[in-house]
Amino acid sequence: MRILATIACLTGLVVGGFFAAASTSASAAENIKIGLIEPLSGPIAAVGTDALQAFETAAEQVNAAGGVLGGQMLEIVPLDNAMSAEKTTQQLKKAVDLGLKYVIQGIGSNHALNIIQFVNKHNKRNPDKALMFLNHSAVTTAFTNELCSFWHFRFDANVDQKVAGLVTQMSRDSSIKKVYMINQNYAYGKSFQSAARAIMKERTPGIELVGDELIVPFGKVQDFTPFIAKIKASGADTVLTGNWGPDLVRLIKFSAGANLPVQFYTIYGGLTSSVAGYGADAHKVALKQVNEYHENHDGLSADSVAFGDTYMAKYKDTWYSDRQRWLILMLAEAIDKAGSDDPIAVGKALEGLTLDGPLGEVEMRASDHQIQLQLMVSSLTRDYSRPIMYKGNDFKIAFATDGVISRQDTTLPTTCDMKRP
Amino acid sequence: MTIPGAKQTSVGALVIALLIILPLIVNSGFALTVMSQTGIAIIFALAFNMLLGQGGMLSFGHAVYFGLAGYVTAHVMNGMANEDLPYMPVSLIPLVGGVAGLFFGILIGFVSTRRAGTAFAMISLGFAELATGLTLIIIFFFNGEEGVQTDRWVREEWFGITYGPDIQVYYLIAVWCVIAAIAMYLLTRTPFGRMSNAVRDNPERVQFIGYNTHRVRWLAFSLSSFFAGLAGALHAVNVEHVGFETVGLGQSAVILIMVYIGGTGHFAGPILGAILITLLNAYLSDISPAWYLYLGLIFVGMVMFAPGGLAGLIMMHDPIRRAAPHLLMRMAPAYAAAFGTSLVALVGCIGLVEMAYFLSTTVSRNTALILYGIALDAADFWPWLVCVALAAAGALGCSRTYPRLAESYGTAMHEARRAVAS
Amino acid sequence: MEVFVFSLFNGVLYGMLLFLLASGLTLIFSMMGVLNFAHASFFMLGAYFAYQISQPLGFWPALIAAPILVGVLGAAVERYALRPVHRFGHVAELLFTFGLAFVIEEVVQMIWGKVPVPYDVPPSLNVTAFAWQGLDYSVYRLFMLLISVGIFVALFFGLTRTRIGLIIRASLTHPHMVASLGHDVPKVFMWTFGVGCALAGVAGVIGGNVLGTEPGMAIQLGPIVFVVIVVGGLGSLGGALIASLLIGVLNNMAISYDFSLYPIFSLLGVEREAEGILADLVSLTTGAIAPLVPYLLLVLMLILRPRGLFGTRDV
Repeated sequence: MRILATIACLTGLVVGGFFAAASTSASAAENIKIGLIEPLSGPIAAVGTDALQAFETAAEQVNAAGGVLGGQMLEIVPLDNAMSAEKTTQQLKKAVDLGLKYVIQGIGSNHALNIIQFVNKHNKRNPDKALMFLNHSAVTTAFTNELCSFWHFRFDANVDQKVAGLVTQMSRDSSIKKVYMINQNYAYGKSFQSAARAIMKERTPGIELVGDELIVPFGKVQDFTPFIAKIKASGADTVLTGNWGPDLVRLIKFSAGANLPVQFYTIYGGLTSSVAGYGADAHKVALKQVNEYHENHDGLSADSVAFGDTYMAKYKDTWYSDRQRWLILMLAEAIDKAGSDDPIAVGKALEGLTLDGPLGEVEMRASDHQIQLQLMVSSLTRDYSRPIMYKGNDFKIAFATDGVISRQDTTLPTTCDMKRP
Repeated sequence: MTIPGAKQTSVGALVIALLIILPLIVNSGFALTVMSQTGIAIIFALAFNMLLGQGGMLSFGHAVYFGLAGYVTAHVMNGMANEDLPYMPVSLIPLVGGVAGLFFGILIGFVSTRRAGTAFAMISLGFAELATGLTLIIIFFFNGEEGVQTDRWVREEWFGITYGPDIQVYYLIAVWCVIAAIAMYLLTRTPFGRMSNAVRDNPERVQFIGYNTHRVRWLAFSLSSFFAGLAGALHAVNVEHVGFETVGLGQSAVILIMVYIGGTGHFAGPILGAILITLLNAYLSDISPAWYLYLGLIFVGMVMFAPGGLAGLIMMHDPIRRAAPHLLMRMAPAYAAAFGTSLVALVGCIGLVEMAYFLSTTVSRNTALILYGIALDAADFWPWLVCVALAAAGALGCSRTYPRLAESYGTAMHEARRAVAS
Repeated sequence: MEVFVFSLFNGVLYGMLLFLLASGLTLIFSMMGVLNFAHASFFMLGAYFAYQISQPLGFWPALIAAPILVGVLGAAVERYALRPVHRFGHVAELLFTFGLAFVIEEVVQMIWGKVPVPYDVPPSLNVTAFAWQGLDYSVYRLFMLLISVGIFVALFFGLTRTRIGLIIRASLTHPHMVASLGHDVPKVFMWTFGVGCALAGVAGVIGGNVLGTEPGMAIQLGPIVFVVIVVGGLGSLGGALIASLLIGVLNNMAISYDFSLYPIFSLLGVEREAEGILADLVSLTTGAIAPLVPYLLLVLMLILRPRGLFGTRDV
């Protein structure tokens, strides 16, 4: 038993030591620190580290132009959540310990929801240490509808907006007669499904929905042949899908293998990790994605092009979106406008703020903190001026624009009833 | 050994004092969260060891009971907040989770404990996959990938406790952790606890003397699920969110790794494992992207070389200490040599892993890696050479020092036995 | 009827790939009693090795070299890691392979990164062999089928009709007798493990380019392989074959016919217009839960007939 006591004492010492080392107080540095909570380890760490690189690049641009508030620099503080809810909570606490006022996150709607709930509770309980959440990619529409919060700003189009973009582009293609929907059976996939049903009824009344499938998500489906057979049997000419990751990659690979004569309208078809997964099959299917940016579009704003070039020069990667850039730029502008880095003042300055996006003016809508933006639908093609690169590998394929969706077409009503502090 | 139980009591008092003081000396929300999570991990690990260590049942899906109880708890708290359900203090809510865990444990346990060994492990894997699939599909109860949100601040309880501030939640977890640990410790002392061990070691003989092995395993499984559920409820209170990953294979794997590294053969083993792994997970993962690789390697190393876990390694020395404490001092040089060579090998290997990870995950013009406080060019030849040399030298050293350590341990044991005999 | 035959055919195509993966596992288990949790990780290694080798040399050298590499790696694992663990019992072996799966996944990520690698079907085989129901089937799909069938036949005859097979089987049941006859039993075990892993490697080489080669592929496929060998009966090669085909066909039928599960719930008195939790259940179809069917099958099998379809002993 004395051994037990020794263990207990030793553990106590170790624990104490750990915490003593960790609980270094927040430094009153000049820099304005912004936490980035993303998976930087574990199976999907690639997505997290890519986002970190984009934010660092954007922050460097702001700093190179003199920073904010007359010379304060922006600094991104990476906080790894390893895609676990527990670690997200840990990192939020750490962000508070470090005295951060802003956290950025975007990968995984479940973690985004946790952060929204956390900042709501935390800011109510500790109004003097308020924390603001800047969402760069979590698309659940409810975050800017019934769950909307003053402390949350979304810089990406939500599911409904993206679906609206896809359906609008479909309405321009008169060859589309029959559409087959296939989605992942969980909250995101179901919201894609219901948004598509509603928006198609309104914008493409002539197109018939010949199939509407939900599959078990996250790589559980290995063999897509039976789905391909059903799509073929339904006579569909177009597949509309919100799938991502292996659920999209396998759908595409099996379709290519069977020479299924359909086109795919997707949200996440252009993620670098997916494009890497299609391999040589990528050019065999007509794959389309909706996004706010791609590197081969003519008429991008000069700033967007410059950002893509800087990123490419630095990391030998094609950056597939523009929202990380405008998030940082809008934050910097709001801080300057507010004259301080106080989250309440900055939040109010962000409301209604506009910026030159890649395709025209984007605006942070004040009523629900949802960015209003133009989108574009583009197809994978071998006929490109700049290929998609990742870590120095040339995929020998890239996107070409099919059509631009105006801000008017992606503007949707909100049910948000915002409570401001 | 004057009064039986006196030492247990003194250890207990020490632990409780430590639990009370710890949050007062560290003033950080992050550390507090980690300590709360450690407390939950301790309960869960002890519950898991009722299966693995005491009952000999290897489960790849025990998080199912942890997670399901978490969901139930979250719904109960939400129901109380909406006044759909009668009020009960949040202080007692872990019991709700426990009962939920018990319920699912009785239900699923009846089926899965009919077999032991590999079959039991396979059934647990099957149920884990089923449960993960269903959490995503059945939106009503599990709310898919987003999970169930809840608010632990239901209303003010005794002495103005609201569970708003984290410190109150920490003390709630600490209290329940102590209660659960004592309860599980006492369980090992009951006839049931002994039967559970017997079923693990020799099921045929147990059947021969008239016991139903299935029923003993079922009871052990249900009780273990009760405590797993208790931990799950505390998790729901602590994080205020329960998601699909809490029932998943990953969560089950982490608890298995914790318990095994801590040691399944000793009651304190899982506690040790839970503390160590939670701390490492919280701090090391920020320092190194290769953290999961290290965790896997530690686990594999333990299975190969120290199946008793950390507690087993420590308890190996107990007979020597008891017989002649001075013999431990005599082993010190051998230990120092072994530690020294291991350290050299470790520094080399960690350097190699970190550089390989760095090169494979970040391709940029900038190949500077900060390793051991030194900025290195990972694409350069020299750092690799140095690390390989360190690793090789360390390994060579280890191959000399470890046999010597074993020899010194053997001698000490031998002398200890002689001392006892004389 | 056409749909039935068509799904049957597609089910066989998928089932035979599962069998190829399961055959190595069942070989190892029947010979050594080791349930290798890391089996799917060797499958993943096969795919990654094949990708790496096929980059400069093309598919055919990869088809030969990658399985051999995986096999040698497997034999080394048995010799230097699994054998010392053997004395701690079967649970320790299971734990070891569990940890090994963890480590292999991390090492693969360390070497090849965390995004999928573009490992493709060789262009020479990626031509249409025939079309059925409007879908093209490439020569490669038939090639996969051919390899799987070939390996089943080779294994079956190798084990039952040859002297080597006799020694291997005898090593399990009468190790001392085999040893006294002058055979090196540990070496037999080592190479059995190696060959089992090599079979997983073959599955990786020919399946990785169809299913996608990424670090998550082992954890996604691993549990299904366990289902196959448990349902088929541990250690039974024929059982593994039948179980693979069963799971492949069931999976295809569940999706093709997409039956509503409502009749089952209506027996329990659930209304079609039910609300809340029941609404989710009533709207379920077999297609939506197809990937869960194998696990349901596993649980049922272990409850009703723990020795599996063709097993000779309980799990």
